[in-house]
Amino acid sequence: MRFDYLKQKRILLVDDEQELLDMVVSILNEEGFQNIKTAKTVTQAITISETYCPEFAILDVMLPDGSGFSLMERLKSTSDYPVLFLTARGEDDDKFRGFGLGADDYMVKPFLPKELLFRVNAILRRSYKDENPLVKLPDSEIDFDRAEVIKNGKHISLTAKEHAILAALYRNAGRIVTIDALCEAAWGDNPFGYENSLMAHIRRIREKIEVNPSQPVSLITIKGLGYKLIVEGR
Amino acid sequence: MKSIPRLIRRFISIMLLSSVLLIILNFALLVIYTISQIPNSYPWMTAEEVADNLSQNNNQYVLSEDTALKLENSNAWAVFIDNETKQVVWKTENLPETVPVSYSVSDIASLTRGYIDGYPTFTGEAENGLVVLGYPRDSFWKHMWPSWDYNLIANLLKTVLSVLAINIALIFIIYVIANSKLLKSVKPIVSGIQSLPTKEAVSIKEKGLLSELAVSINKTSEILQSQNRQLRKKETARANWIAGVSHDIRTPLSMVMGYAGQLENDRRLPEDVCKKAAVIVKQSERMRNLINDLNLASKLEYNMQPVSPTKQNLIAVIRQVVVDFINMDIDDRHPIEWKTDEALTVCPASIDKDLMKRAVSNLVQNCINHNERGCHIFIGVMVEESNCIIVVDDDGIGVTEEQVEKLNHSPHYMVCDENTLEQRHGLGLLIVKQIMAAHGGTVNIGHSSYGGFSVKLILPIQE
Repeated sequence: MRFDYLKQKRILLVDDEQELLDMVVSILNEEGFQNIKTAKTVTQAITISETYCPEFAILDVMLPDGSGFSLMERLKSTSDYPVLFLTARGEDDDKFRGFGLGADDYMVKPFLPKELLFRVNAILRRSYKDENPLVKLPDSEIDFDRAEVIKNGKHISLTAKEHAILAALYRNAGRIVTIDALCEAAWGDNPFGYENSLMAHIRRIREKIEVNPSQPVSLITIKGLGYKLIVEGR
Repeated sequence: MKSIPRLIRRFISIMLLSSVLLIILNFALLVIYTISQIPNSYPWMTAEEVADNLSQNNNQYVLSEDTALKLENSNAWAVFIDNETKQVVWKTENLPETVPVSYSVSDIASLTRGYIDGYPTFTGEAENGLVVLGYPRDSFWKHMWPSWDYNLIANLLKTVLSVLAINIALIFIIYVIANSKLLKSVKPIVSGIQSLPTKEAVSIKEKGLLSELAVSINKTSEILQSQNRQLRKKETARANWIAGVSHDIRTPLSMVMGYAGQLENDRRLPEDVCKKAAVIVKQSERMRNLINDLNLASKLEYNMQPVSPTKQNLIAVIRQVVVDFINMDIDDRHPIEWKTDEALTVCPASIDKDLMKRAVSNLVQNCINHNERGCHIFIGVMVEESNCIIVVDDDGIGVTEEQVEKLNHSPHYMVCDENTLEQRHGLGLLIVKQIMAAHGGTVNIGHSSYGGFSVKLILPIQE
């Protein structure tokens, strides 16, 4: 598995319901995550984090002795690691507050195990991608750190835009990323009318990562919608 | 406040019109009266007549019978003064005793202009003297100094017109001053009444001419405000209650979904057990959608859902919804096809991105829920005139004409104030309608060209 190193991450799980803690632990265990500690209160969470040094936290918003938002601020003040909120509060205000404080994602209960796992994996992949410099594609490998592609032993460098587009595709590996999301990744917030430029960049990326760019196997077009990056081990 | 200048204009025009009308009326009356007074010159004519009809016969003066009768009828007396002696040489029998019988030249000048002993007198010139007619006291008023400055008469028209103009101007000024005071006190009343329907709190100073009205308006506003507060309180309580219930259900449902999801994919379990777990997953997903829908529908209904529209490329937003559904890895019984003209890359609209995504997701979810055996779903965005149109079609079981009519025009049971025995449907379409209404758009439900159900969402383009 290419992502085994992510499964070793130390995870802190905070929720006031024991049954929910047990269930999430079992879902994560089944996926292969081994290092999980749980806490039921803010105080417990802070005590555990001091010795355990978590690398990822899943927090409830409403805890018996305080809010998950303030807990996140406390946790992040000592060490900056990704946080996912898992809460029964679905209000928009709460979401914005969570994101405003620097949460990496926000999930509203109830949820399916696969939904939780997708988000956890996506956050970890995004946050710790530097630790896995080589991303293996069917025909080549991408070294995001050095911004280059290794194909048939040859190192081909990526431009900034190509790097941004590939990074967005890699964060959602195996899933379709819309044309608009890719334009936004490459050109920023107001990506109206960059579709033709995007197509040109995709063509150049294919020349770099595919053995046969006219019959791509790594970077697939989903007509009218977007593109999908096929990463080995996913 | 457009009505105030209109009111002023109307006041002034009524005032000017009535002034002009009054003047015209007065002139008319004057003319009619003057004409009717023309016969007033008859005493002078009668005096002339008497002079003409007084004949001398053997040193005796005799008046014709007709004329004598005329004098008698009007109770007038007459004397004839001789030119040379200035003595009365003839008189009627009814001559009052106080009337002198001898005159000096100044007496004659005086009686010509005015009166003898209070009797208005009129003169007629005869051959050798002067006939003087006297009418009863208070039967005529005589103008004793009938002369004007020549210029006054020469400029009479100009003078009259300028006096009239000055009068009108004066009336106008007085009117404006008087009315502006009234209008000043009307103005806050008008603006108060105008703000009542906007649900704003109204507070007018309770003094001046119309203070009673101001008190009533303030009271009305207070009543409306308190009613609004009560209503809002009730609506908030209801929406909070729904939010609270759905919040409390979320955690237990997480457990159901989570464990069922694990069991569904547990390869150690027999296939039939996995299938049962899959049913639990599916049903709990339905419950989750229902909770989310119920919460959003009640918030939209009671205006508690913040709607913050920004300019967005509608195509990008809808494309993301489609991709999210495909990425969600739903079973391949409901494949989704993107049916948007490739040349159309931008369709700008002012939308709340999350809510619009929610509306289209609901429509897709509807297609899935109502076609358990599977169907193709076709989603596209197009531009027609000045509208962006999102079309969600399927080739599934579709609906009857009657159902289309009902879906388009009947209120949903949740927002209907009557009890209904009809089958209750989900909240999906209600939310779509609410979201579109919040965006100033419309929903058009009908039959799809692919043979199933079709919903068109129509939104104005924002240039």
